[in-house]
Amino acid sequence: MSRSSFVSLARRASGLMLVVGALGMCGLAVSTNGLRFYPDDPIAREPESQDASKAQPYFIGSLYEMTTNLFVTAGYKPSGTRAQNINTIDEVPNSNWFTNRIGTTPVTVEEIVRGTNRGAPPDPSRWILTREKTSGSHPGFTARDAKGQTWFLEFDPSYFAEGATGAVAVATKIFWALGYNQVETFLTTFDPARVDIDPEATLRRPSGARTRFTRDDMNAILEHVARRPDGTYRIVAGRLLRGKILGGFQYDGTRPDDPNDVVPHEHRRELRALRVFGAWTNLTDLKASNTLDTLITENGRTVVKHYLQDVGSTFGMCNDLHEWDLSYEHFIQGNTTRKRLFSFGFALSPWQTVDYVEYPSVGKFEGDVFDPGKWRPQTPTTAYLEMRDDDAFWAARRVAAFSDELIRAAVHTGEYSDANAETYLGDVLIKRRDKVLRTYLTAVNPIVNPRLNSNGRLTFENAAFAAGVASGAAAYRAAWFRFDNGTGETQPLAETQSATTTMEAPRDLPTAAGSFVAVDVSVESEAHPAWRRPIRTHFRREGQGWTLVGLERVPESLSQGRVTHTQTR
Amino acid sequence: MQRIGLLMRFIVVAVVTHGAAESVAAQVPDTATREAALEQRQIEKVDTLHPYVPGKTEALFNRAEDILVNGVPRWHPFFESADYGGGFTLGVGYAHHVSPYNMLDVRGSYTILGYKRIEAELTAPHLFHRRGSLSLLGGWREATQAAFYGFGMDTSLDNRTDFDFQQPYGSATLTLWPTRRLLMLRGGAELSQWSQRSAEGSSFPSVEHVYTPATLPGLGTKTTYLHSQGTVGLDWRTSPGYTRRGGFYGVTLHDYADKDERFGFRRVDYEAIQHVPILREAWVISLRAIARTTYNKDDQQVPFFLLPYVGSGSTMRGFTSHRFRDQNGLTLQAEWRIMANRFMDTAVFYDTGKVAARRADLDLHGLKSDYGFGVRLHGPFATPLRVEVARSPEGTRLVVSTTPIF
Repeated sequence: MSRSSFVSLARRASGLMLVVGALGMCGLAVSTNGLRFYPDDPIAREPESQDASKAQPYFIGSLYEMTTNLFVTAGYKPSGTRAQNINTIDEVPNSNWFTNRIGTTPVTVEEIVRGTNRGAPPDPSRWILTREKTSGSHPGFTARDAKGQTWFLEFDPSYFAEGATGAVAVATKIFWALGYNQVETFLTTFDPARVDIDPEATLRRPSGARTRFTRDDMNAILEHVARRPDGTYRIVAGRLLRGKILGGFQYDGTRPDDPNDVVPHEHRRELRALRVFGAWTNLTDLKASNTLDTLITENGRTVVKHYLQDVGSTFGMCNDLHEWDLSYEHFIQGNTTRKRLFSFGFALSPWQTVDYVEYPSVGKFEGDVFDPGKWRPQTPTTAYLEMRDDDAFWAARRVAAFSDELIRAAVHTGEYSDANAETYLGDVLIKRRDKVLRTYLTAVNPIVNPRLNSNGRLTFENAAFAAGVASGAAAYRAAWFRFDNGTGETQPLAETQSATTTMEAPRDLPTAAGSFVAVDVSVESEAHPAWRRPIRTHFRREGQGWTLVGLERVPESLSQGRVTHTQTR
Repeated sequence: MQRIGLLMRFIVVAVVTHGAAESVAAQVPDTATREAALEQRQIEKVDTLHPYVPGKTEALFNRAEDILVNGVPRWHPFFESADYGGGFTLGVGYAHHVSPYNMLDVRGSYTILGYKRIEAELTAPHLFHRRGSLSLLGGWREATQAAFYGFGMDTSLDNRTDFDFQQPYGSATLTLWPTRRLLMLRGGAELSQWSQRSAEGSSFPSVEHVYTPATLPGLGTKTTYLHSQGTVGLDWRTSPGYTRRGGFYGVTLHDYADKDERFGFRRVDYEAIQHVPILREAWVISLRAIARTTYNKDDQQVPFFLLPYVGSGSTMRGFTSHRFRDQNGLTLQAEWRIMANRFMDTAVFYDTGKVAARRADLDLHGLKSDYGFGVRLHGPFATPLRVEVARSPEGTRLVVSTTPIF
């Protein structure tokens, strides 16, 4: 054995001894303690580590879903559980459900106008109908364009000329920016004179049999849709999604055949947040058949991707011109039913007196009477009921990131022929945005973006002030603690305060790498007593600076059993 | 330096392995990172994967949805009795599509008073490019205790007599919507035979014990009719089964041709329905007027069992079925409908009407009236359940029906 070999062996042996020694030290800790923060916290992406290729399509019946939502889910008592798919700084990591876009990174006008669209639009010079439309309430077909690509075509009902198609075009852009997976959609043209019917195309008849799709079947649909003076029809075409179609997802539970789906859907923040986004855009039809799971292969692994597939029930679009109560009440709602029953209808509901400026291309959509806290989808979902104030705040910050310019740019993609209608839709979205912000950014402590620099200066922002939905004097207080990441114990350090969103940290902050401090920051504001409840932040010492690794807007220790955002049933 | 290096390595390894070991206590074993912890949960789920299996209730609802959306009812309940006044009805039908749209429905019902009805109907709903529908109907019915109280409005409940009638029938009815909306034309022909028997088991006297063929036209006869009819109507309701707006205005001409030329007659029905929505359809004032007038053919007479009547679950609800009969009849109904929610309405109603021997007497004098309250469960196009309590000078009646009032 040479000297060098001996040294090398000795080093390896010593290394082995170090490992063994280290493990021995840890063994003590294992029995009593747990880490609050992992080295990779906060994570930016939710892992999808397992192969989901065995996931199979299944059907979620709308009748069953509606009935259970109206009569079972409506009685559901929210658990008050914090969202379970968020990272340690209260944000939603990217996943096959959600991608952080607006509110996290700047979204430009060009980006929102393009939305999710990446491929070329359909070539409408020839449509070949292949079957009926398979989802959604508005009439349509499944068809191939002149380039042979498959699209799902949707028309405007005769009473909503440009409305249904415009809503899909605009809402798809908005929900893409909000972070949801969307279907590529394009406004285009359907000319019956340039339509062929695939000889293999069939249609399910009342008998249950599928028989050949005929031109008369096409005409039966065209009789009920809005026609242009030149005999053509405005349509919105949605591109066939890649991958295997698995059907819709539910707003509670998990897919039993998807190994990566481990967070109950009612505890996914982006699904809870649809209560806020839905209120803003009036997305009333929150049901499984308006969602879609697909099985795709990415980076060599087969995973399930989740789409908010149909966001066309937005703005004033619905199944009938006379759905006056839409967005004010669930289809069946105990308190309003009782009120009308016992008063013989004399106790008026708000929807009976709202003034609407009705454009066929917009429908019943207004921003003056709108109250985000009282907004109701057609049926309640468990995720909708589980939304907490911190979920709503998170959602509202994304809504706040929509500038007037972005909203008007998104609305412009609806290609409305009536400029007044386009302006009106933009105006209402802006009004409703402001009401959403006023409701949800002020309901809880609005401190965001806390940073602790190497000089021991804590800075942050007040989201409610920044959005212009609150004003007045405010004083900020911070309670500082040493934090033991192994035991979870805290030791008070000091309290500081400031009249601005910058304050100095105590001088005796730990300086060792890997040490932690916890800072509870509250806001004194006469107009907003709820802001006195502090947010709890955690910083980890890394190098010469501090990294935010933890943020709880409604700290569990303070929020036990308290959920302020509940709804009347 | 080497010692310092070793010490650093010790610290690093200790920190890393400390974290790894700590994660055991943090509910996720053997992971050093958040990502690994989350992946561990996914790994654990792999062993429990299974396809989604709907529960029994969900499967049942899915089947119901399939029937509602795709119209494949097969076995279905059937609650139409042989005639008004039969009491609680139970029945069943079996529907079978004989072509993609055309359906044969065989059904039957039986009531608590022994009313029987069995029939088969072939419907072709998609004729003439969806502008027409055809119904071919054949069947037989028996009403064991049909009521007759005498002619006119001055009869009392004590005048009640009963009769049993049986009727085999076969008909063809073609309905056309030339413009696919608004204008409705309907024409049809029916061949049927009416025969009577003594009402057995009834607590009221049988009709032949009180009347004679001379005092009651048609008593004891067996009459075979070729009944032809034609309707012209304007209909802009959402659906005849349920609507909150729109109206229907129609006139129907009937010709009853008696094979023996003894009891042939003509009848004209006038019907007007108007729904007036108020407060965005939370209230609806619904009005209906029906006038039925008969015309004798030469010296033939209208048989008592086909005389226009008022009194039933769809005319004057506070009165027993067929309470008043005569040559002409008038029913006026007003409802104040109150929306409770998307699937339930309540209604306060008022019915009034009369029968008269002469058409000229079909005015607003001498009307009988009732009032009441009802609850309806409905969908967008149908009213599968209507429960009403109606009060008239002759008492209080409960109406349970599987059809809308109008």
